[in-house]
Amino acid sequence: MIMLVILIPVIAGILVSLIPFKKRSHMETFLETLVILNSLLVWNLLIHRPESVFTLANFTGNLSISFKVDGMTMVFAGLVSGLWPFATLYAFEYMTKEKNEKIFFTFYTMTYGVTLGISLAGNLLTMYFFYELLTLVTVPLVMHTLTREAILASRKYLYYSLGGAAFAFIGLIFIIIYGSTTDFILGGVLDPEKIGGRTNVLLLIYVIAFMGFGVKAALCPFNSWLPDAGVAPTPVTALLHAVAVVKSGAFAIIRLTYFSFGVEFLRGTWAQNVVMLIVMFTIVYGCSRAVKETHIKRRLAYSTISNLSYILFGVTIMTPLGMVGALTHLVFHAVMKISSFFCAGAIMHQTDKHYVYELNGMGYKMPCVFGVFTVSSLALMGVPGLAGFVSKWNLASSAVESGNRIAYGGIACLLISALLTAIYMMTIVVRAFFPVKEFDNTKSLEEEKDPNWKMLVPLFVFTIFIVIFGLFSGLIVDFFADVAAGVY
Amino acid sequence: MYYIILSILFPIFTGVYLLVRKEMKSRKNLLMAAGIFFVISAVLVILALCMAGNGLFTLFNLTNRLPILFKIDEVSVVFSVMAVVVIVCAGFFSFAYMKHEGKEKRYYGYYLIVLGVLIALCFAGNLITFYMFFEVLTLSSMPLVLHNGSKEAVMAGLKYLFYSLSGAYMSLFGIYFLERYGNTLTFSPGGVISAEMAVQHGGILLGICFAMLIGFGVKAGMFPMHAWLPAAHPVAPAPASAVLSAVIVKAGVLALVRVVYYIFGVSFLKGSWVQYAWIVLTLTTVFMGSMLAYREPVLKKRLAYSTVSQLSYILFGLSVMNAESVTGGLLHVLSHGFIKGALFLCAGAIIYMTGKTRVDQLRGIGKEMPLLMWCYTIVSLGLIGIPPTGGFISKWYLAQGALLSDIPGFNWIGPVILLISALLTAGYLLPLTIRGFFPGADYDYGTLKKKEPPLIMTVPILILTALSVGIGLFPQIVTNYLSHIVERVI
Amino acid sequence: MNFVQNFPAVSILLCLFAGIISSGLKKKAARFVNTVLISIVGFLSLCTLIYVMGTGESFVYVMGMFPAPWGNEIRAGVLEAFTALFFCIIMLLSLAGGRKKLADEVEEGKTFLYYVLMDLLLASLLALVYTNDLFTAYVFVEINTIAACGLIMIRQNGRTIEAAARYMIMSLLGSGLLLMGLCMLYDLTGHLLMSNIKEQIKWVYVSGQYRIPLLVTIALLSVGLAIKSALFPFHAWLPDAYGYSTVSSAAILSSLVSKGYIFLLIKIIYRVVGFEIFYESRIVDVLFVFGLMGMIFGSISAIRENDVRRMIAFSSVAQIGYIYMGIGMGTQAGMEASIFHIFSHAATKSLLFIGAIGLTDVSGGSRQFIELTGSAYRNKWAGVTFTVGSLSMVGVPLFSGFISKLLFAQAAVQNDVKMLPALIILGISTILNAIYFMKTVIRIYTPVEERKYESITFKDMKLYVATLACFIILNVVLGVSSQPIADIIGQGLAMFS
Repeated sequence: MIMLVILIPVIAGILVSLIPFKKRSHMETFLETLVILNSLLVWNLLIHRPESVFTLANFTGNLSISFKVDGMTMVFAGLVSGLWPFATLYAFEYMTKEKNEKIFFTFYTMTYGVTLGISLAGNLLTMYFFYELLTLVTVPLVMHTLTREAILASRKYLYYSLGGAAFAFIGLIFIIIYGSTTDFILGGVLDPEKIGGRTNVLLLIYVIAFMGFGVKAALCPFNSWLPDAGVAPTPVTALLHAVAVVKSGAFAIIRLTYFSFGVEFLRGTWAQNVVMLIVMFTIVYGCSRAVKETHIKRRLAYSTISNLSYILFGVTIMTPLGMVGALTHLVFHAVMKISSFFCAGAIMHQTDKHYVYELNGMGYKMPCVFGVFTVSSLALMGVPGLAGFVSKWNLASSAVESGNRIAYGGIACLLISALLTAIYMMTIVVRAFFPVKEFDNTKSLEEEKDPNWKMLVPLFVFTIFIVIFGLFSGLIVDFFADVAAGVY
Repeated sequence: MYYIILSILFPIFTGVYLLVRKEMKSRKNLLMAAGIFFVISAVLVILALCMAGNGLFTLFNLTNRLPILFKIDEVSVVFSVMAVVVIVCAGFFSFAYMKHEGKEKRYYGYYLIVLGVLIALCFAGNLITFYMFFEVLTLSSMPLVLHNGSKEAVMAGLKYLFYSLSGAYMSLFGIYFLERYGNTLTFSPGGVISAEMAVQHGGILLGICFAMLIGFGVKAGMFPMHAWLPAAHPVAPAPASAVLSAVIVKAGVLALVRVVYYIFGVSFLKGSWVQYAWIVLTLTTVFMGSMLAYREPVLKKRLAYSTVSQLSYILFGLSVMNAESVTGGLLHVLSHGFIKGALFLCAGAIIYMTGKTRVDQLRGIGKEMPLLMWCYTIVSLGLIGIPPTGGFISKWYLAQGALLSDIPGFNWIGPVILLISALLTAGYLLPLTIRGFFPGADYDYGTLKKKEPPLIMTVPILILTALSVGIGLFPQIVTNYLSHIVERVI
Repeated sequence: MNFVQNFPAVSILLCLFAGIISSGLKKKAARFVNTVLISIVGFLSLCTLIYVMGTGESFVYVMGMFPAPWGNEIRAGVLEAFTALFFCIIMLLSLAGGRKKLADEVEEGKTFLYYVLMDLLLASLLALVYTNDLFTAYVFVEINTIAACGLIMIRQNGRTIEAAARYMIMSLLGSGLLLMGLCMLYDLTGHLLMSNIKEQIKWVYVSGQYRIPLLVTIALLSVGLAIKSALFPFHAWLPDAYGYSTVSSAAILSSLVSKGYIFLLIKIIYRVVGFEIFYESRIVDVLFVFGLMGMIFGSISAIRENDVRRMIAFSSVAQIGYIYMGIGMGTQAGMEASIFHIFSHAATKSLLFIGAIGLTDVSGGSRQFIELTGSAYRNKWAGVTFTVGSLSMVGVPLFSGFISKLLFAQAAVQNDVKMLPALIILGISTILNAIYFMKTVIRIYTPVEERKYESITFKDMKLYVATLACFIILNVVLGVSSQPIADIIGQGLAMFS
């Protein structure tokens, strides 16, 4: 069953490039059916969780490729499988204007399987394995347009990701040597007897591994691949570079911190302070770069950088509440950012406009898209009643609860970043809805209009979720709390 | 109970309805609809005030520990009455005024939303509900500021937005901590900080209290974050400036009342460094606002600086924290609300009729529109603090409170600054009256035409003027009511 | 004496005979003899391996009738037999992969000579692997050098001659140092047989005499073999030698010849000097440091290279650095990792050379990157192979490179002092590897607008594709089921001492 959900997308992807479809709509139906089917299987798997560990193969010694469904899996796999069908639907429409669709959909669908692999991984080695695979299957997506820019971006992406993995690998080795097992166990697997007096070395290694996985989570100073990778088609930027890939980095860090090294070992050490300071810096840095950026997608990418570090901030608090905050933002940010990226994509698709200053008065031409964009902007800013507020609230209150003085500074960073978020998002909204006087809103109203249903349906669904998460977060946050407490 | 929800949601939904629906066939239909909506909203608020009682009403839970709840107490009554009166008056005033600004549907849409949100702010029963609507208020009032769409209007709108948000986030910083250190976030007279917590985490609590004062103080135009106010007021349409200056900035005042008297509590703050710092800030603002207003030639901008100064009168009253000063502060909320509303509407009427914005262009204006200028003069006197207007009573209480307080130094510096500022107020408001009625010998009476504004403009101004005078004539009614509040919180 | 015990000696002799016979044969016949020879030797090695694993201990085979201390001995354990088998497989595949190309590279009349040299090379490699006395080792080191030189030079153009000359000079320098070391060892101990020397050295060491001569000897032996196996900074001969010789030669030179010397070094460490004594001398640290530097500088040179063959050659410098880093860690685990990397690198590097030739062939024979653009579409199989090789080099799980990296890192953690430098350099080196290999992979998968060069079809290169498939399978087998091989290595090392 577990293998099935990983393999179906991979096989479906390969089939897409092999089967000669007569019409494009056949391919759409084929892919969408399989993706939805797979998502249903994933949800089925998450609801009827198999208790046992499923081992696929043994590497050397005690290292194996094995899978297990636990609380974290439920969060991440549930999120990914919820978003993928919508993103695929959106991609069908978006890709009509791009070339080489088949290759695109091949890798796009394969990525689904690999991402599920990361979330289902039962030990650090398996996760590392899928983590590397994820880099490889997404590279063709980044270089899809094959312009010089895209190739440079994909190279950069590869170097950064593989390099990061190389350092995360060091962490893996230490867990193999100093842990009792490499399986994920809430509270960590380090064996105090084996550690002996090497606490400081292990802490150093934790920092190194944190930074290593942090490359995918676009931690400063390893963030510059993310805005560059925005040259990819928007469905990729939206789903992969706002959710699947970057969140895998954050997910891996949660695994590393809470399930491998263990927070008991890390809390209150210099290592915690170091990573927390880096994360705090990234929060502010990402936002300030976003303010400077005028290309819409790059602006959103910088926003992602900052928001990913929100998640990491929750992780570095290293309390169960911190993990709740991190998980909340992991899920909520995914919905918010994917919807704002999809809006940006819809704008590019319909009008070929890429820069903020070209958007004067667009709100009247594409009311639906900009309506959704406004909601997601407000949510990202953290207006109460929308999803972003709840996750920020959880993060901040966990920081207060931890009593860590540096974390108090982190709250300040969150708020500074919220203000900067307001600046870079609201300027777009204001420009779109309140154009300066000279603007003539009759001209070219005809050709620039809202996209068709394939693009709008995902947008509206995400918006609804933003509101629902914002107003009635009790249930889902309870669930996260259970996950953080190790109920599952 | 449900009146509360109704009185909040009705204006918001009608506002949204106006925003999203297609352009109406004729302007008349739009005005008709807007007028009906105003009246119904006002009626609903009054019903809510009368019928709702003072129980807690929980709407739903935002997260497990954050309920959205409403409660009506005396403070809500004071603020909501003032808000509804000014907003409805200014709303009717806009029927005539907005003709030359255009995009009226959008204007009334946001206007109604602002009304609903303000009511929600007044009725909010805990800090998180308050914060929620506080942000929404900023967002929904921004379109009113940048309404005319000129470059500087948009910039002013954004400035307003970002100042307000930065203030809101500073207060949010405090809220995060309060949720942990306080017993609850529900407003309760006397505060929610237990003695134990006050001892254990006193330093942090004072720090975040100061952050929240500065943060919410942004909306109330308190130094050092007042710069948005003089930028936003002149570019907004006149009735919107009236609402902004008379009501929306009061949301900041309301926030500070809630935070200081209903969350931290007087006993915790009195005598702490936060109180002194706050007093210094308010007095600085009072003086600085008046000085800047005195130097400002553009009428609406002058009034905006005046607002900066007058709001800090209120905040000064709140910061001294004794019975008289708080009464004075709250009373000034009412009288300043009516007066400043009337003043901005006057300025709007002048702009509408003559198109002139600078004070020095307005020689002889009293001859052209005597009724309007009489209203202007009366409320100006009120703002200066000359009996028998509301301003006099409130300033009396403020000065008395300052003198009675046992804070060394401030008990005489305060009144002195208030007095100087009153003189400056006279200096910047009265020249218009004097030059308007007595244009001097070289004024060309030949070209003089009666240009009294239409009835729909004059009546709201008259109502507001009457109310401000009314407070001055019958202060007992109000002060008695306020004494209920004061007794509980001090 | 069991019949199987003759096999190691027989295979060496077979190779020598085959070389002699081939010198009188025509091109095709020589090739046939060579192929059959490698297969037979491989089979014999397999038998030996099975036999040794069955008995669980190594055996010594005395050549000729000379008794100790002068005799020539051959020793076969699990590790020796496995290495011989593995070398045969790689050699077979490399030759098969480069067969078609050989016609362009070598003059028609000289082709038979090529196979003669191959036969001799195999003989010397086997001897280096099996030998149990230092004299035999030295003799075959020289044979090896000469054969390798011939293999470089047989493709005649200016650069190969220069490369061969360089190789010759450096190699002879290495052999000279090795010879000096052997002489001193003989002086110290009076023996040439490994087991005898070891006993004597142990005795000398315990007695506390001749400390400095012993140290110098160890140094001479290590440095001599390090030069021959192109450890940084003695790698100057390598890029040209690998870059301009025929493709099969390059594959075999990089994956087998240098590995033969390293294998000999490991054997000397265990069987002659003794692991503890070697560890006590500070030579380990020197090897460690040079290994680390090789990892970095080799990769940096590779990044700056514009010629794909030379880039792969520089990558070898880095990989040799890995192996010496493992040896330099001075732990059993480090040694095991190094030996595993010998296999893994041999499998990967030959794959890369053979894959690269497929790409350059469809790019007008040019090896410059700019011409390679889009070549993976023109020769799909070579493209896939090259990608697999690159991923393995970068250390992506599923491929052999990942397991070596895993073993190296695990070994590093066990040494408190060398842990951090080793791990950090390992990480940096992975990034550098990623930079130049992934750059190439992206380059070959970037389509070009105008079609400058013709694509190649499956029909034209059946053998080539089959070879590539074998290489990929070999790589994945090493990467996935590495446990048996790791067991063999552990068992073999245990037999050494």
